[in-house]
Amino acid sequence: MKFQLSFYLFLIISCYTYAQETFTVSGTISDFANGKSVFGASVFLENTSAGGITNTYGFYSLTAPKGNYTLVVSYLGYVTIKKEIVLDKNQSISFELQEDTTTLDEVVITAEETEKANIRDPQMSVAVIKSATIKQIPAVLGEVDVVKSIQLLPGVTNNGEGSNGFNVRGGATDQNLVLLDEAIIFNESHLFGFFSVFNADVVKDMKLYKGNIPANYGGRVSSVLDIRQKDGNSKNFNLTGGIGLISSRLAAEGPILKNKGSFIVAGRSSYAHLFLKLADQDNTAFFYDFNVKGNYEINQNNRLYLSGYFGRDILNFDDAFKNAYGNSTLNLRWNHVFNDKLFSNLSFIYGDYDYGLELNFVGLDWTSSIKNFNVKYDFKYYLNNKTTIDFGASAITYNFNPGEVRPVDEDSSINEDILDKKRALEGGLYVNAEHKFSEKLNVQLGLRFSMFKRLGGQPIATYLNNQPVVYNEALGIYEEGIMTGEIDYDKGETIADFSNFEPRLGLAYQLNETASVKLGFSRIAQYLSLLSNTANATPLDVWTPSGPFVNPQMANQYSVGYFKELQNGMFSVETEAYYKTVDNRIDYIDGSDLIANNNIETQILEGESRAYGLELLLRKNKGKFTGWLAYTISKSEQKTPGGKAGGPGINKGEWYYTPYDRTHDVSLTGSYKLTEKWSFSGNFIFQTGRPVTYPVGQYEYEGLSVANYGSRNADRLPSYNRLDLAATFKPNYKPNARWKGEWVFSIYNVYNRKNAASISFGQNLETGVNEATRTAIFGIVPSVTYNFKF
Amino acid sequence: MKSYIYSFLFILTLFTSCTDVIDVDVPTADPRLVIEASLDWQNGTDGKQQTIKLSTTTPYFDTTSDNAVTGGTVTVTRSSTNDTILFTDNNDGTYTTKNFEAVLNETYILNIVYNNETYTATETLRPTTPITSVNQSKNNGFFSDVLEVNVYFNDPEDETNFYILKFQERDEDYPYLRDLSDDLQNGNEISVVYEKFDDDNEDEEFQPGDVVDINLYNVSERYYKYMQLLNSQSGSGNPFAPTPVELRGNCINETNPENYPYGFFRVTETYKETYTFVDEE
Repeated sequence: MKFQLSFYLFLIISCYTYAQETFTVSGTISDFANGKSVFGASVFLENTSAGGITNTYGFYSLTAPKGNYTLVVSYLGYVTIKKEIVLDKNQSISFELQEDTTTLDEVVITAEETEKANIRDPQMSVAVIKSATIKQIPAVLGEVDVVKSIQLLPGVTNNGEGSNGFNVRGGATDQNLVLLDEAIIFNESHLFGFFSVFNADVVKDMKLYKGNIPANYGGRVSSVLDIRQKDGNSKNFNLTGGIGLISSRLAAEGPILKNKGSFIVAGRSSYAHLFLKLADQDNTAFFYDFNVKGNYEINQNNRLYLSGYFGRDILNFDDAFKNAYGNSTLNLRWNHVFNDKLFSNLSFIYGDYDYGLELNFVGLDWTSSIKNFNVKYDFKYYLNNKTTIDFGASAITYNFNPGEVRPVDEDSSINEDILDKKRALEGGLYVNAEHKFSEKLNVQLGLRFSMFKRLGGQPIATYLNNQPVVYNEALGIYEEGIMTGEIDYDKGETIADFSNFEPRLGLAYQLNETASVKLGFSRIAQYLSLLSNTANATPLDVWTPSGPFVNPQMANQYSVGYFKELQNGMFSVETEAYYKTVDNRIDYIDGSDLIANNNIETQILEGESRAYGLELLLRKNKGKFTGWLAYTISKSEQKTPGGKAGGPGINKGEWYYTPYDRTHDVSLTGSYKLTEKWSFSGNFIFQTGRPVTYPVGQYEYEGLSVANYGSRNADRLPSYNRLDLAATFKPNYKPNARWKGEWVFSIYNVYNRKNAASISFGQNLETGVNEATRTAIFGIVPSVTYNFKF
Repeated sequence: MKSYIYSFLFILTLFTSCTDVIDVDVPTADPRLVIEASLDWQNGTDGKQQTIKLSTTTPYFDTTSDNAVTGGTVTVTRSSTNDTILFTDNNDGTYTTKNFEAVLNETYILNIVYNNETYTATETLRPTTPITSVNQSKNNGFFSDVLEVNVYFNDPEDETNFYILKFQERDEDYPYLRDLSDDLQNGNEISVVYEKFDDDNEDEEFQPGDVVDINLYNVSERYYKYMQLLNSQSGSGNPFAPTPVELRGNCINETNPENYPYGFFRVTETYKETYTFVDEE
């Protein structure tokens, strides 16, 4: 292993063999107004090929032969800085960028911060959305939503309102790595997916990798959603907030410790009672979030960051049941600049997702949780102006508590039952090199070595013929295997061990100044899966680690794209085609029972999935009207043969649609700035309906009509479509006023389409006739929100 | 027990969503034979009268087809004695006998010949736990201030048990069926609550004077799973319900396995209680 890695490093370094006297200029770029570091600003030496963009901490480093240069710092929406420098020694220069008030008309969604970088960057299949853009998109009940906004991008869908998570390129929701300041978020939804856990007031930006995932990420096969919280304003104290129909938000930020640091603290809470329409009953359903982030500059080369998130959902129905769940994360980071070429970041991250359900009417109290502790050490080495190398290591320990059942009181008939707790260790080592082979060819080459150990401390069942699931030939069904015993593993023992090499490749070839083609490949292993046999993932679903019966999912994704700028950046076109395969994708046998099941292996079969598609994104970047049109045509299927369980497998072993297949997915988003006081925005979405299973017949049994269902996912819900509109009004608009307020009026689902979240089939017990019942979550929803900044 | 957990999610969505009945085109598969062979021996009776129903599947929204199967040959054999009883074809899809011999722990074999194909199934008559008491209350159930009936029985500790409860309100056309396993309640006194609730119409709730017949059946694990799946798929607009699947019973087509039948052959003892709601003090 070691030998391979060093050999690999050697290969990269040997790409550049010539030597010349060179010097390095490095530093950080921050925002003049609030001192926040700027990620993605372009820094380059004019008329040379030396250039790059600042990293997430605002750091840049450029190396060039000795000489006189013009250093240019540019960032969309900010005044470009040009500075003459004499490069005769290594030096550190930091800049503060000032907002360009003349270009505020621009929508700030870009695939990379400058269009130029977009064309040249070998990274493909990535989208950045900034907080300002998210806030422009009309949202249901006026709740600005991070996760909903990414669904307007090509290749990203979800199961409609009231469903958790999102689906990327035909992947499942558990195949997305969702990070908030590097901490893993296991459930990104409030109130079963009506809202996401990310408070838009504290989100700085987010990056979604749909493919070609860089080597510093691993562990999920479909995508990475990397969300960064804002740094607090290090110059002035200010408050931002909003009052909406569902929730209110307040964030405070400002300098601390004699301007050596800054903080931001934010809270958001929904109003109890309003959400449920049952005002006269003792019911509550509400959520709250608490975000905090602070940073402190020890000196020019050392900076500390502390960030945390705590969120909770609380549901209480008439004391019949109580339900509370949420994520908590804490991250301590240390940025250290070793020298002008080597930047590092060390992170200690703790995360906890826990779930509790109390069913008083049956006397049952259920809790489950997943805790993880993660240490990461990442380095960025600016070897020269052609090559940057990222490398690092990470280790995550997981403690899974899949469920504990207890009686609520002495009268309860429930016995205590604790499912086996599971432990695992996930490690990763990576190196990623970006090298400019020529003016036209830019390559990013990465390798990740991942390992996963399922640790002892629990018994593992053994089965007759080693078959946890057996096909019953006579009855044509899959059944639980016959348990023959259990092997007890001590905490010191390893139950199962996996490791994988995961190569990543990105390549950009510039055809001319405004167009390029890109190629990408990534291989990724996923060691955790969310167990869910329902159409919509629920917070009750339990995460489970790979082990003796569940192999890690392995994905290979190939992508190719064409990128083009038109009319000097006024328009841009991005097209990508992808093909993705996932091995060891599990599916559930007919009639599977996952709730409080200690032996999940008796309910699943291992198969494979594949997805392919073509994505098109056309953007208008400048002018009074900005926006984009996204279109995706795609297919996502899976196949689950019987394997060692025998029999034909699920759906007779033939390919069937995954629940995430959408043949067509169109979204149109635009905003129009009429005056300084009034601006308007809207979006339209059309999606092919979700694959579902419809009945193919009926019969009578026990006096009831029983639906007889056909092949899995062979039918489809009606198409999903809706139009949303919003208007923003800024009364008393004065550019320099301290108090900035705005009213946002929005209408969700303007033409009141009843989009089916599900269609279920059953007998009407009054008439005896079979019926198809559509459940639609939101019809037309008007709302008003007041936002302020002080 | 576990089915509660999904239903709780469903109840949440009820309050945030709207449901309506729509027209949907659904596909239709070729018809198959449906066997409803429930040989229930009610404790305290001789259990000699039994009925088996044969029918075929029909298109899902079809309300007119006559799908009764006539002309079948239906027999049940006691495996210990090889005594075979022929059920009489009543030419309306039902087949009856007055000579069934119910013996605890006896294994019975069902044999049906229809359209020159032979269908078989095997099941053991298992003893059932008696119902210890039945009463009414208002606040034991999910909804407070709604009348409900509580059924109590003692779960045997030394074995895994599976139960089906059937509640049939007099004057109602359809029974309410509950599936239950003791996996979280082994060895305890188990109580099962049945209540009716309609947000818009209080008359739908139980009223004093309403009469409910309650049957408790101990059943095989296989049959419990069958009924659990049947109940969970009976459809109520729950977006969190598991993906519905084909429901396969325990009857086999010996002649042509691909032409498998639906339905189930069950043989159980059952305890029956009748409860009449009274005015609360």
